[in-house]
Amino acid sequence: MSGPLAALPDEELTLLDLADRLLNRGVVITGEATISVAGVDLVYLGLNLILAAVETIEQRDARRR
Amino acid sequence: MRPLLAHAITRRAASGPDSGLRGQPLEQIAGGELALWATRWDAEASLARDDAFAHHDLVVVLCDAGACLPIRFGTWLADEAAARRSLEAEQDRFTSAIDRLEDRREVAVTLLWHEPETAPSAKPVAAGEPAPEPTAGAGGPGRAFLEGRRTTYVGTAERRREAEALANRLAAELATDQGDVRHETCPSSEVALSMSLLARKDEADALKARAITAVAALSGVRGVVSGPWPPYTFTEELGSGRGG
Repeated sequence: MSGPLAALPDEELTLLDLADRLLNRGVVITGEATISVAGVDLVYLGLNLILAAVETIEQRDARRR
Repeated sequence: MRPLLAHAITRRAASGPDSGLRGQPLEQIAGGELALWATRWDAEASLARDDAFAHHDLVVVLCDAGACLPIRFGTWLADEAAARRSLEAEQDRFTSAIDRLEDRREVAVTLLWHEPETAPSAKPVAAGEPAPEPTAGAGGPGRAFLEGRRTTYVGTAERRREAEALANRLAAELATDQGDVRHETCPSSEVALSMSLLARKDEADALKARAITAVAALSGVRGVVSGPWPPYTFTEELGSGRGG
């Protein structure tokens, strides 16, 4: 197996699955009461979650070496 | 007045947690028969990774206390009055969703391909580098190009068929009601399937155990089963949300 997700243990994939639900699902409130839903910062946050997960793997591997 | 970061909608409650994200005050804003829970937030502070998971922890507490509708993370409301108006304006929609999801939890199944799909033209093109000319074969470069495109398409279609078959198999094995399943096939080259299953709260752990057994029996994919979580994926009626 190859690719960034394949390197992740189940626990990290679970966190990504949860992050996907937090950022992309859940009820959307519409109307004038809502200032904003998601946006650029949250796209970055999603990417940041993936990068942090990959970084964790790399650090763990480095410690093993 | 500081804006509000929304977490969940519940029926009106006499009491609940009083601390929101980063120790900020958690407000319960009543509108009709419902209440919206939100952290009063300093407008200067931006959201971070830990805030997303703190939001989840708070939603779990609220859902454990009673019927609850998780709100998409990152939803900002101008102030209490605006939140109240929004609740009252969509009272029927929110009440219907809360009734439908009372004592329900979500179990997530993700399948990763053992071998991610790759395009037949194996050599990647670096940024700024011109794309290679199609190789001239028996039918010339145009034909080679079209055949390459066709092979890619067939490969993708084949993957989608495989993923759909896996989804159907899991749904048949795990779900008693097909309305309690949402799925998305091939959301990326590595992921074959992202599936969410709805279960009664007291049956969610058993469903998770059955899902772990079911994905272990699949070939060609690695399966990860997560949850139970609040029913994030099921807050909208089938057809209006993602997947299906």
